[in-house]
Amino acid sequence: MAFNRISGQAHIRMRSAVTQPDIVVVLDPGLLVISDVTSGLKDGGALVINTPRELEEIKSKFGGPWRLAVVNATAIALELLKVPIVNTTMLGALIKASDIIKLDSLTELMEERFGKMAQRNIEACQRAYEETSVAGPSPVSRKAEKAHVAESLPSWRDFAPGFVITEPGNSRSYCTGDWRAERPVSNHDLCIKCGICSLFCPEDCIRQNEEGYFEADLYYCKGCGICARECPTGAITMVEEAKG
Amino acid sequence: MKRVGLESSIAIAEAVKMANVDVISAYPITPQTHIVERLAQMVADGEVDANYIPVESEHSAMSGCLGASAVGARTFTATAGQGLELMHEVLYVASAMRLPIVMSVCNRALSAPLNIWGDHSDVMAVRDTGWIQLFAENAQQAFDLTLCAFRIAEDPAALLPTMVHIDGFHLSHVIEAVLLPEADEVKKFLPPFHPLYTLNPDKPVTMGDLAAPDVYAETKKMQDEALRNSREVVLKAWQEFGKLFGRNYSPVETFRAEDADVLLLTMGSFSEIAMEAIDLLRGKGEKVGGVRLRLWRPFPFGELRQAVGGAKLLIVLDRAISFGGPGPVCAEIKAALSHLEKKPQVIGFVGGLGGRDIPVKGFQDMIHRGMDKAAKGQFDDFEMFGVR
Amino acid sequence: METLGVYAPRLVTRRRGFAPGHRACAGCGESLAVSLVMKALGRNVIISMSTGCMEVISTQFPHTAWEVPWIHTLFENSAIVASGIEAALKALRRKGASLPQAKVVAMGGDGATFDIGLGAISGAFERGHDFLYVCLDNEAYMNTGIQRSSATPFGASTTTQPAGKVGMGQLTWKKNMPAIAVAHGIPYVATASPSYPLDLITKVKKAAEIEGPTYVHILSVCPTGWRIPTNMTIRVGRLAVESGVFPLYEVEKGKYTLSYDPPKLRPVEDYLKPQGRFRHLTAELIDKIQQRVTAEYDALREKAAHE
Repeated sequence: MAFNRISGQAHIRMRSAVTQPDIVVVLDPGLLVISDVTSGLKDGGALVINTPRELEEIKSKFGGPWRLAVVNATAIALELLKVPIVNTTMLGALIKASDIIKLDSLTELMEERFGKMAQRNIEACQRAYEETSVAGPSPVSRKAEKAHVAESLPSWRDFAPGFVITEPGNSRSYCTGDWRAERPVSNHDLCIKCGICSLFCPEDCIRQNEEGYFEADLYYCKGCGICARECPTGAITMVEEAKG
Repeated sequence: MKRVGLESSIAIAEAVKMANVDVISAYPITPQTHIVERLAQMVADGEVDANYIPVESEHSAMSGCLGASAVGARTFTATAGQGLELMHEVLYVASAMRLPIVMSVCNRALSAPLNIWGDHSDVMAVRDTGWIQLFAENAQQAFDLTLCAFRIAEDPAALLPTMVHIDGFHLSHVIEAVLLPEADEVKKFLPPFHPLYTLNPDKPVTMGDLAAPDVYAETKKMQDEALRNSREVVLKAWQEFGKLFGRNYSPVETFRAEDADVLLLTMGSFSEIAMEAIDLLRGKGEKVGGVRLRLWRPFPFGELRQAVGGAKLLIVLDRAISFGGPGPVCAEIKAALSHLEKKPQVIGFVGGLGGRDIPVKGFQDMIHRGMDKAAKGQFDDFEMFGVR
Repeated sequence: METLGVYAPRLVTRRRGFAPGHRACAGCGESLAVSLVMKALGRNVIISMSTGCMEVISTQFPHTAWEVPWIHTLFENSAIVASGIEAALKALRRKGASLPQAKVVAMGGDGATFDIGLGAISGAFERGHDFLYVCLDNEAYMNTGIQRSSATPFGASTTTQPAGKVGMGQLTWKKNMPAIAVAHGIPYVATASPSYPLDLITKVKKAAEIEGPTYVHILSVCPTGWRIPTNMTIRVGRLAVESGVFPLYEVEKGKYTLSYDPPKLRPVEDYLKPQGRFRHLTAELIDKIQQRVTAEYDALREKAAHE
């Protein structure tokens, strides 16, 4: 989790992570499922979310005593920037939701920072500003008061001497599938069950199902698209992952 | 048991041989060379059944030990001065990963300028590395403590790499009478090595992972607890050693200290010369005594406080210098005594650097100089002794 | 080939030694390389790995992607840790311990192999330990943020030797690590690419079975550092081979054999163009690269022809 402090003071002394934010910006809708994004969010603050879903739907799950702003930044970024990288796009949403700075202030800075790419980034930012829907505070809809559950971290006595990991391959419990922006979809009419996709998958997560068709294990699939590209019959296509 | 005239280096090689070492991963450096050369000859003559890896640097010497120990082999290496510095980062890894490697260090001065002779600057540079560290003062101790080191390191309650320090040249190249035990006696003292985890395809483990800020501190706490608790392992091993071989070692040893007003604390071979000086001064009626640290890490807080608490003045000789700071050992002594209600005044000296000898008269002078300074209230951080 | 009715990829074992759930970037050619290497090696191995991308992404406490015994200590010493393991196994077995079969394999990135660990590798090769060293070459210090190594190719932009107003990226030519391995007189050296997975698996199996030090050098395409889309990993790896930039060959007891010799090499521009790290290259520089690649490839062909 990244954090940011903005202040009129000449020097900010605090360097610890922010635990009681005024504003939370969620760049990846996948985080809505695996993280408590409203944890510590102050009353009267703002929650800004990148999501393909509508405001009302998000409000029913994440509404509370804060402003709620949503925009499909991924779609905007893919259209205007050709990559699902939403940082500059989301700046537009942040400004709409919080008035923290003026949108115009960004233009010169973006030109300086991005050079040839500046125009596209500015456009994406402005589009997001226009398309962001904002709702005012509402009654708490989920148990926002529950404290952020601290993961049970081990005490020093729990470690094996030399912090040896004794369970081989236990990374299998870690869901890298949460990362992806796109997922592979296989057309069985075209699939010839050659197995080339499986051979080239960096996660080694493609296996044959009972009918012999090769399917990616979505728990691990990071959506790199190698299988789609290497498939000799074009049976695999990458589709946008519906997230959050 | 037989009595032989041996160089400390050779005595150490004999101990390693009797310990039935499996892998020696070593790089030569003065003044440790006799240890590794004798071991190489023993391997060549079939006296020692071990794989000898003639590595290409000290960093590799210790790294080779890591691999060997991780597979469950009894592992040994030796180094000195610059070599100890070159393997510096590897030392931390050995202790954190709980690999019971035994290493002989022939304490040598650090460059620059180049100096191959004895002092403790190399030791002081590795204080924080998490190894159990023992000091020998003569050839017998060089042999005994090396043998003990394997026993201590491999004890399941310790599982920590162990260094045995001997002064470069002043011990490593000096021949003394050494009592060597029989092989079956050693067998009683030193059981085979049964590691907790090894690299074995039948039971795969992962050693040496990445620990993020939320867990790293806990691994260090665990490691520190292990080093502190290893004191018990050291005491137990020395107790057994005493029973089997008749020589008793303690973390802090004193000499004519019971009713002493003034104590001189030394480490390494200087301690025995200091004892000569103390005998002479006692002969003249002066109530002086000596204190030696045999166990350097884990620091023997309790034993030290007990040994020096009753004296009026404690003089500490550091054989290393910490530029711009206090004498390393002296600073630790002062810290150990700081909260005691009844404690001696402390005067620190730095001397014997780069192999410079301090003869008996030198120690007498040092004791008197310390007493004089204390009487005049001249409590500086340290004074360099014997420098023109 | 067992039967034409079965596609070759399906003959590759599904048993893993390297589990999913690791934190490699999407499309990482290096994790694919490791996955294929582990399929070639099987379970009776002990891996000694250097600090680098693969070590960091595979063992973040409390997780490990490794299903075989594995040790990491430092950056520059995987080869000597492997030497220690190998010597210990020999000593313990000789002294009567009953230990299972285990091939010792050291793995390191190009940083660990070409630069900081070169001394240790040289020592291990010279001493003749029975182990396989696998170099996973993504051509820069990728894990720490794309800094140059001596494996970074001429003209590539990295963060410590970037293209700029006056700088053109890497000023020097890639160090020839396979040649350095061959110069040590070890019995087997090979280059491989995950874009040619069956060739890679065959070579790793062969290298593991030979007694003595062996070396396999794997070009690991890195979408993040080479600035290509994540789905281009295999294609760019293929272009590296087809353009002669990364030829596939073996050197057995000093004898060179080309694994794949295309009748006509593709222009290097085909390889350079899709990669953001080469985006700044002028036609002149590309030509310079072409000349060098052609000359080196011809020299390699000569060596292979005369054996």
